[in-house]
Amino acid sequence: MASIDVNAGPQPNDAVSVFEHHRSELRRQRLGMNILFIGAFLLALGLSIWVSRFYPDRLAAGLPRIFEYFGTIMPNLQFDLLFEGRGADGRAVPGSLTFWYSDFNVYIRLIVETIFMALTATILGATAAFLLCFPASRNLAPNSFIYIVSRRFMEICRGVPEILYALVFVFAIGIGPLAGVLAIAIHSAGALGKLFSEVNENASMRPVEGIRGVGGNWFEEIRYGVVPQVMPNFVSYTLLRFEINVRASSIVGFVGAGGIGAELNRVISLYSDDRVVAVLLLVVITVTLIDLLSEQMRTHFIGRENLQ
Amino acid sequence: MLAIKNLTKSFKTRNAVDNISLDIPDGQMVGVIGRSGAGKSTLLRMINRLAEPTGGSIIFDGRDVTALKGRELLEWRANCAMVFQQFNLVGRLNVLTNVLTGRLYHHGLIASMFQVFTPAERAFAIRALDRLGMAHTALQQADTLSGGQMQRVAIARALAQEPKIVLADEPIASLDPMNAKVVMDALRTINREDGIAVICNLHTLDTARNYCDRVIGLFEGRVVFDGPPSALTEQAAREIYGAEADEAFSESMTSTTLKPAGTEVPAERLTEADLQQRARAELLAG
Amino acid sequence: MTAMTLQSISSSDIASVRQSHPQAFGSTFSTITRWAIWLSVIFYVIGSLYYFEVYRLLDASGRALNLIAAFFIWEDMGEWQYRQIYIGIAQTLGMAFLGTLLGTLMALFIGFFAARTTMPFVVVRQIVRRILDILRGVDQLVWGLVFVRAVGLGPLAGVLAIAVSDTGTLSKLYSEALENVDRKQVEGIRSTGAGPLKIARYGYLPQVLPIFISQSLYFFESSTRSATILGLVGAGGIGMIIIERFRANLFDQVAFVVLNVLVCIFVIDWLSKKIRARLIGETSH
Repeated sequence: MASIDVNAGPQPNDAVSVFEHHRSELRRQRLGMNILFIGAFLLALGLSIWVSRFYPDRLAAGLPRIFEYFGTIMPNLQFDLLFEGRGADGRAVPGSLTFWYSDFNVYIRLIVETIFMALTATILGATAAFLLCFPASRNLAPNSFIYIVSRRFMEICRGVPEILYALVFVFAIGIGPLAGVLAIAIHSAGALGKLFSEVNENASMRPVEGIRGVGGNWFEEIRYGVVPQVMPNFVSYTLLRFEINVRASSIVGFVGAGGIGAELNRVISLYSDDRVVAVLLLVVITVTLIDLLSEQMRTHFIGRENLQ
Repeated sequence: MLAIKNLTKSFKTRNAVDNISLDIPDGQMVGVIGRSGAGKSTLLRMINRLAEPTGGSIIFDGRDVTALKGRELLEWRANCAMVFQQFNLVGRLNVLTNVLTGRLYHHGLIASMFQVFTPAERAFAIRALDRLGMAHTALQQADTLSGGQMQRVAIARALAQEPKIVLADEPIASLDPMNAKVVMDALRTINREDGIAVICNLHTLDTARNYCDRVIGLFEGRVVFDGPPSALTEQAAREIYGAEADEAFSESMTSTTLKPAGTEVPAERLTEADLQQRARAELLAG
Repeated sequence: MTAMTLQSISSSDIASVRQSHPQAFGSTFSTITRWAIWLSVIFYVIGSLYYFEVYRLLDASGRALNLIAAFFIWEDMGEWQYRQIYIGIAQTLGMAFLGTLLGTLMALFIGFFAARTTMPFVVVRQIVRRILDILRGVDQLVWGLVFVRAVGLGPLAGVLAIAVSDTGTLSKLYSEALENVDRKQVEGIRSTGAGPLKIARYGYLPQVLPIFISQSLYFFESSTRSATILGLVGAGGIGMIIIERFRANLFDQVAFVVLNVLVCIFVIDWLSKKIRARLIGETSH
C-alpha cells in the first residue's frame, strides 16, 4: 500500500478520482436509457389518460356518485328486528335478515353450482395442462416442432379470457353451466400448462439421464425422472388455480354460462337496493373460505418448508 | 466382448474423443484415467449411447451398437448399465422404486406409468440392495441419503438391470475417501462375482492401480496408455496428465484434491422460493 | 454377496424377502386408498359433467362446426370499421395501463399496512387484510358493473374496476414479499440508527422493489386481457365491439379483434420479460 502525499494535490490514479471517473462514465451510460424509459412511460401515461378520458373533472364528478351508489345498496337492517322470522302471512319483516336474504335458497343453490363448476373445470384443466406441459418444456420436448406447437397452443388457450370462451360456448351449445366449465377448463389448461412447463424447465435433468441410462423411453423418463420432482409444485399451483377458478365461475354467468354470475348480473343491472350487497357478500364469503381451505390443503400436501 | 473402432466425437473446434480403438473382453475391470476434459466421460456416454458418436463404431458381441435405433437402442441401454458421478437418482422416489427403475425396459407402458412391479422384481431389487448393504433403507426417500449411500443405490439399480457390462462415470469423484472405498469395492465385487466387465472412469491414479486389471490413459481424446497397472510408470503418468517435463509430478497430485467440474448447481436454476413467488403472481393475475 | 439373476428368484425367495422386508411389497391398505381416491375423482368428474349436461356437446357439433368455420372465413374485409376497432384496442391498453398503475401506487402504500414485518399492530393489519379480501373476492367484471352504475358507461368505470381489483391482489402480493425479506439486511440498516422511514427505504425497498415491479408487470399483462372483456358490461374498451359483432353474427370480425388483442398481449408479455430481466439483473448483481 502506497501512502498518499496530501500536499501533492489529487493524483490521476488515486482511489477517489478513479472511482469518480468510473462513476461518471457509468452515469452517462445509464442516462440515455433512463431518459428513454421515463419518456416512454410518460408517453404511455399521457396516451392512456387521453384514450380512457380519465380527466380530473370527470373523476371529481364521478367519485361522489360512487359513494352515493354504495349508500343505496347497503341493507337497511334494524337491530331489534334482526332475527325476526316470517310472519303468519309468510312475509318477512323489513329490517330483518330474512327480509334481506329472502332469496337465500336460490343464492345457495347457485353458489354450490359455482363451486362445482370451478372444481370440475380445474380438474379438467389441470389434466390437460399435465399432458401438455411436458412436450411444451424446452428441456423435455422430443423435438422443436412439437415444442413450438404445444407452446403456442397453450399461449392461445391462456391469452383469451374465460368469459370470451364462455360466450362462444354458450352460442355453440346453449345456455347453462357446461359452457362455463369448458371455458374455464380451456383457460386453466393454458395458464397452468405454462406454469407447469416452467417448473419442468427448472427441474434437475440428472434423474432423467439416469432413467435414460437404464433404457427407459420418453414416457418413462417423464414418469420417473420428472414427475416425482415437480408433483408438489403442480399440486400447489392447481390448488391456487382452483381459488382463481371459483372467482371466474362466479362471473361466467354474465353471458349465460351458469353459476351465480347470472343472478349477480341481474341484481346489479336492475336494482339499486340491498340485494346487490346480499349476493356480493355471499360471493366474497365463499371465495374467502375457499382461499383459506386451499391454503390449508397446500400446507398439508407439500409441507410448510416448501412454501418457504 | 466390447470392440470400439475408430470412435470419434467432434465438436465445432476440437475432437473430444479422437479416433479411439479398444477391445474389452468380458469380465475385465478397466480403469480409464486422464485429466478433466480428456474425453473420458464422452467415451463412456457414447458407449451407452447417451451421447452420439460422430464417427467410428462400437461392436458388442458382434452387434453394431452405434447403428441401433428405437426399441433396440433402449434394449442396449438396459444391457449396458451406467453409474454416474452425481448418482442421477430420482430424489423424491424411495430407494426401492429407484432400484426398480432398472427394470423399466422390460415393462409395458401402462405398467410403468402406474408403477406396477412384480413381487419377483421387488425381491430381486431387495436382494440387489442387500448385496450393497442398503436393504434397510429401501423405503426411505432417496434424497435423504448421503452421497455414498446414493451411489450404492445407483449400483443396485445397475444390478437390477442384469447388465452385460457396467459403465461407471467418475463414480467416486463426489465422495469422501471412506465412501469411495465402499463404492469401488462394490464395483470390484460385481466384476469378480458376476463376471461382468466394468469400465470405470477415474480421476486418481492410485484408485486405478488398486482396483483395475487394465488401465487406459486418455490425453486430449486419444489413448496414450493401455496396459496393466504395473506398466504405468511415472513417465507414462506424466504423459497422461500432460505435466511438463520439468514440473514436479506426484501421484497424490492426481488424487481427490482435484474436484471435477459439474458438482455445483447451475446458476440459471431458480430457487423454490422464486418459483413460488412467480407462480403466485402469475396465477393470481389470471 | 453372490451373483444372481431375476430368473433364479423362486417363490420361496420371494417369501423370504417378503418376510424380512414386508413393506417393500406395498400394503393393501395404501393401495386401496390410492385407488379409492383416483376412482372418486374420476367418478366426480363424470358425475358432474353429466349433471352439467355434457351430452349436449353431441347435439351441438353441427352448430359448433359452423361457428368455427365462421371464425376462419373472413368476408367483406374492406367494410370492417378498422378505425373503430383500433381505437377500441388502444382504449383497452390505456385502461389496463392506467388501472395497473393506480393499483400499483395504492398497493405500494397499503402493502406496508398488511405485512407482519412492517405493521406491528395486529388490529390494523387484520382490518386492512379483510378489506383486501373483499376487493379481491369480487371479480373485476363485477367491479366494472358496479362502477358503471356509479360513474356511468365508459372507460372511466373500467379504469376504476381494474385499479380496485389490482389494488386488492397486488397489496396482498406486496405484503407477502415484505414478509419474506431477509431480516438480516433490515437489521443491518437498523443498527446504523435509521428511523422507520429510512429502514423502509434502505432495508426493505431494495429487496422488494424488483419483486414489486415484476409482479406489477404480470398484472399489466393480465389487466390487458381482462380489460378486453370489461366492455361486456359497458365499462369501455374493445369488449363492447366484440360483443356487438358477436350478437350480429359477424364472427370473422370477432376472430380478427381477438387475434389483434392476442398480438398485443404477446408483445406486452415479451416487453415485460425484457424489462424484468433488465431491472432484476441490474439490482441483484
